[in-house]
Amino acid sequence: MPQIILIEPDRLLAETYRQGLQASGHQVVMCASAQAAIYAADETRPDLIIVELQLIGHSGIEFLYEFRSYQEWQDIPVLINSQVPPSEFSDSWSLLKDELGIANYLYKPSTTFATLLRSVTDSLHHASAIV
Amino acid sequence: MVNREQTSVLSQQLLLTVAEQLKLPLLQIARQAEIGQLTKTADLQTIQSTADAALRLLDNYVLGVRLALDQHQLEIEPVSVSAVLYDSGQELTRLARTYGVDLELHIGGRFGTVMANRVGLQSALVSLGSALIEALPALEQPQLKLQLASHRCRYGIVAGLYTDTQQLTAEALRHGRQLMGGSRQPLTGVSHTAGAGIFVADSILKAMHLKLQVSRHHGMFGLGTVLAPNHQMQLV
Repeated sequence: MPQIILIEPDRLLAETYRQGLQASGHQVVMCASAQAAIYAADETRPDLIIVELQLIGHSGIEFLYEFRSYQEWQDIPVLINSQVPPSEFSDSWSLLKDELGIANYLYKPSTTFATLLRSVTDSLHHASAIV
Repeated sequence: MVNREQTSVLSQQLLLTVAEQLKLPLLQIARQAEIGQLTKTADLQTIQSTADAALRLLDNYVLGVRLALDQHQLEIEPVSVSAVLYDSGQELTRLARTYGVDLELHIGGRFGTVMANRVGLQSALVSLGSALIEALPALEQPQLKLQLASHRCRYGIVAGLYTDTQQLTAEALRHGRQLMGGSRQPLTGVSHTAGAGIFVADSILKAMHLKLQVSRHHGMFGLGTVLAPNHQMQLV
C-alpha cells in the first residue's frame, strides 16, 4: 500500500483528505508543519509527499529545500496542493520543477479530490516506472 | 468623529482578508461533500459546524463595519465580563471540538460589570477564538488548549483568549496589521490562514474605542482587550 505524507495545516481539511486517500487504497501520515513532516519522512519511507505551501513557521518551500537536500529523498515525488495560486510562481517555475522536483502544482480552491487523486496515481506510477 | 476615507480603506483591506479566509470553510465543505460521496460517510455535523463558522465570520465582519460607520449603533451598557466569556465559550464549543482543541473558562475573580457594547464584545471574542482554534493544531509544536479568561490589570479588566504558544507577540500583531489585505498570510508565526478572525476582532474593538492587544494570563500568552470598570455599579 503506497505511503503518503500529507502536509496540511488545517486539521479538518487534512482529516477529509486522509479519509479520501485511505478509501482509495493509500496509507496516509498527516503532518501539520514542515518540521513534523521531516520527522515523519525520517521514520517512514514515503512514496509520495503532498504539501501545502502556507504553513506556520517554516513554509512549504523551506520544507522542500530541506527535504531535497537529503540524498535518499531526492527521487520521492512531491505534489503541491496549495491555497497559493501557481501564477505567483510564474517567474520561478523552473526552480520548482527542476531544482525542487515538483511533480505537479495544484491550486487547492479549484482542485477537486478526484483531480488530486488522479495526480497522486500518475505520480506514483511515474515514480515506480523510473525505479 | 470617524474618518470615513480611512475607514473605507481599512474595511477594503479587511474585506480582502475575509474573502481570502472564506475560501477555507468553502473548500472544507466542498471536499467533505465530495469525499463523503466516495466513502458514503458524510459527516453532516462537521459540515454544519464549518458553515456556521463561516457565517459567524461574515456576521462579525459586517458588525465591525457597521459599528465603525454608524456610532449611533454603539450602545454602551453595563456588561458582566464573566457572562460574555461564558457565552463566547458556548458559541465556540463545537468548532473547538471539531479541531480537537480544549476550551477552558477561567475567571480570575469577581469584577462587577464593565461599560461596553455586549454584542460587540462577544463578537470580538468569538471571532478571535475561532481564528485561534483553527490555528493552534497547525503550530510547529501544536497547542490544543485555549483559555477564555479575565483578570484585573492597572487600567481595568482584561478579557481575552490565552494559550501556551509564545508566537503571540506584540510584534507579530503589529506586523500582521501592516500586512493585512496585502499578504495571504499576514500572521506567519501564528496562523496558516489569512487570520481574518483576529483582524475582524480588531476592527470591532476599534469601533468600540477599545484596543486588541497582546496580554499574559497566568504564564499563558494571548490576545485580549482592557475594559473600563463600571464605577457607578460599584457604588450601588
